Parts: sequence; structure tokens; C-alpha cells
Amino acid sequence: MAEDYEPRIVAFLCKWCSSAGSDLAGVSRMEYPPNVVPIQVMCSGSVSPLYVFSAFNKGADGVLVSGCHPGDCHYIKGNYYARRRLNLVKKLLEYVGLEPQRFRMSWVSAAEGTKYTQVIKDFVKDLKPLGPQTKLRRNP
Amino acid sequence: MAKIEDLKEEAKKLLREGKVKYIIGYGAGTNGWPAAPLFIKKPEDVDKLVWDPTCVHNLVRFLVDEKRRKSRQKQPDKRPVGIIVKGCDSRAIVVLLQEKFIDRNDVYILGVSCEKTGVVDDAKMSKKLAGKKAKTVQVDAQDRFVITTEDGKVEVPAEELLAARCLECKANFPVIYDVLSGEKTKRPLDKPFGSLEKMESLSAGERWSFWREQLDKCIRCYACRSACPMCYCDECVVDSINLAVTADTTADEKARRTRWIQRSAESSENLVYHLVRAIHLAGRCIDCGECERACPLDIPLRLLNKKLEKEAKELFGYEVGFDAALPALVSCFRDEDPQDFIR
Repeated sequence: MAEDYEPRIVAFLCKWCSSAGSDLAGVSRMEYPPNVVPIQVMCSGSVSPLYVFSAFNKGADGVLVSGCHPGDCHYIKGNYYARRRLNLVKKLLEYVGLEPQRFRMSWVSAAEGTKYTQVIKDFVKDLKPLGPQTKLRRNP
Repeated sequence: MAKIEDLKEEAKKLLREGKVKYIIGYGAGTNGWPAAPLFIKKPEDVDKLVWDPTCVHNLVRFLVDEKRRKSRQKQPDKRPVGIIVKGCDSRAIVVLLQEKFIDRNDVYILGVSCEKTGVVDDAKMSKKLAGKKAKTVQVDAQDRFVITTEDGKVEVPAEELLAARCLECKANFPVIYDVLSGEKTKRPLDKPFGSLEKMESLSAGERWSFWREQLDKCIRCYACRSACPMCYCDECVVDSINLAVTADTTADEKARRTRWIQRSAESSENLVYHLVRAIHLAGRCIDCGECERACPLDIPLRLLNKKLEKEAKELFGYEVGFDAALPALVSCFRDEDPQDFIR
């Protein structure tokens, strides 16, 4: 079972940095696990906590939110808002007993294709031993 | 507990001069206890006002209803509404002012200080009385609760019966008011987040089984939402039936609406509902405990909100409900906000 299990990650990627970073990883033919479902959002600050909860509810094993480095936001300060809000989300998820590894956030710029692949590799590596996420998942 | 004779005088004066539309306060409950919300329109009714440790409700919720009612009237009465508030309720007003939901001129605040006590907890009291029915609850000179039952009087130290939120109250006097009754005395407070200690000492697995068991009970009656003074959105994201429908909303549009969560009382959905509610109340919840009191299944909802209040304090140094001029918790940031969890 543990051998076959492939975690599904939902990644909310900021259009201006992380999404471009993942593109760069793609066009540079870097290898990384295919477990990610990328969702482009206009800014990491536009990621509502509901997106995260909903992703878990609809069966994601891990959720990644990735945005621009502090100071580099296309909208000047969206990522600062995201940082604050998603920190609370993370604390809340841990408080109700979800494994802390399942939700993470990263700063990936448009030039950091390598970092993006590394983030995904690490995420998949951490999720594999946890097995499928069933806590928040809606019964099919 | 403060005496509210001076407030009654003031209330009479306000009503007689027509300075307020009406006054929201506490009156005797139909069953003796607890006190029930009372709306006073005539000066001669002011004497029906009561103030004792059974005034558990947060009346600020009625300001939200008042605003709705006003927005539907063609020529609304623009006079303010008088309202009697405790310390916690006054902080709810501060948050509503902070969010510009109400205007300071819309409300005339009659503050009462809880002084060294607070309000009683229903569950704790019925346990204490072991089946007997309380007729009245008063506070004596030593700040002990005196409960009158059919068999006579029972004296209980305040700490035994106080609601959990009162034991963790940061300011048991109104922080904003037009008239204040009682003194601004602070009760010594050694554990501002005492109720969380037990939860936080548990492992992740134990916390999960606790919350699953608790939230499995939820029947999605939305009483917590209805009782909450902060849940004032006209459209609530968690249930799709109250989304705005106008004359030109097509069936197609209605069908296409994103249903983030369904209205089913299914355990994962219950969890998502309560998580969403907790996040929406982060930095807004003033810990009046109404959600928990209104819950017909006794889900300890306060623990979710209190946790986020604690995190807001520890991570961002944010304390809710003291300054209406501050921006809200999630609509501001500092450069030095922690980001050790971000890669």
C-alpha cells in the first residue's frame, strides 16, 4: 500500500512568481514528481482560507500556497496579507489535529524553477509516510 | 456587580426626551432566570430593567438586526438605539465600529461594569443546584453569588459558577460607553487562556479525536451563527440558500454558484464549516461565548475562537476590541510578521 500511494497536492500558485517559476521548471525540463495539481491565482493574498479547507475537503492530501518573496509582490503587499492569514490557517489546522506537514507555504520567484522542484520533492517526500488524508475529506 | 439605578434614570431621561429610539437591556426572564433581552420603548417601562449575574446575553446582536431593519425602511428613524453592555459586549461594539458596520452615532451605550464578578454559567449552576430551580441570582458584598431556590438561599464563591469566559476576561468593564455604571475594577487574571491549556497539552491525534467527536454532533442549525454579533454577512459562504437572489438572477446563475460546502450535517463538512467560521472570526471574536451558549449540542466552540485569539496575540501582538481606530487583524501586516513556517 505504502509503495503505491501517491499523494495528491493542490498548489495555489501566484500568477506573477510561483506559477512562472513552475513554468520555468517545466520549460527547463527539470524533473519533479507529478503529484501536483497547480491552480493559478492572481496573488497569494487572494487565497481564501476556504480554498485550503475546501481542497482538503475535496480530497487533497496536501495543500501548497506559493507566492512572491516579501517585497516582490506584484500588488505591493498581497503576500504580506497571505503570510498573516495563512499562518492562522496553519495554526488552526494543527489545532484540530491535522498533521502539520499537510499544509505549507513557500516563496518561489519566477526565476526559481529549481527551488520549485525542490519544494515539491520535499512535500511529496513528507506526505508519503503520512498516507492519504482522511480527516477533512468528504466521504465519497 | 454594579447597581444600575443611575442607568435607569439616564434611560428614563433619554426616552422621555426622545433622544433614543428604544433601549435594549435585560429584563426578568419568564422562568425567573436567566434574564431575557428586553426592548424598552416607553419611559415608564424602564423599571423593568434588571442587572444581575444572569444577564448572559450579548445584546449587540440586536444592533445588527436593527441595522438590517433600518436598511429596509424607506424613511428610517435616524435616532440612536440605547443599549446596555457588559465589558465583553462593549468590545463587540468596538469591533463593529472598527469594521464600520455601525456608526458611533447609531448607538447610545449604557455601560455596566461586571466589577469583580461576571455572569453565571448555566451548566455549572444546574450542577451545583442538583436539580433545584434557581429563582434569582444576586451578588453579595463579598462578591459571592447568592442563589435563591425554592428551599432557601445558597451561597457560592463566584469562581465556582462564573462562565469560563468571565474567568478569562481581560477587561470586565466596558471599554466604550456614553454612561458608565460601576467601577472599572480589574479582576486578577493569572491565566488569560486557561481553557486552552488542556487542549494544547494533548497530542495531535487526541486533539483530532476530540474535535471529530465534538463536531460530529453538529446538526448545522446555525444557532452559533445567528447568536454571533460578528456574523453579520447578508450572504454566508457556508450555506448557499441565503445567497442574494434578485429579480434578474437567472436559474443558470443560481445553478452555477460555487457551493463551497454543502448544508449536510456530515462530519467533514461540519469540520469545514466550523473552521471557516473560526477563521472568519479570527481577530474579531471578542469571546462573549454566545455561540457556545446557543449551541443545542454543547459543542465547545469557544475553544476554536479562543485559540485564534491566542495566536493573534502571540504571533501578531493583536488584541481585539480595545481600539476602534486600529485596522482589523487580517487587513494589516507588519514587516516582521513571523514566517518561519514558509520555505
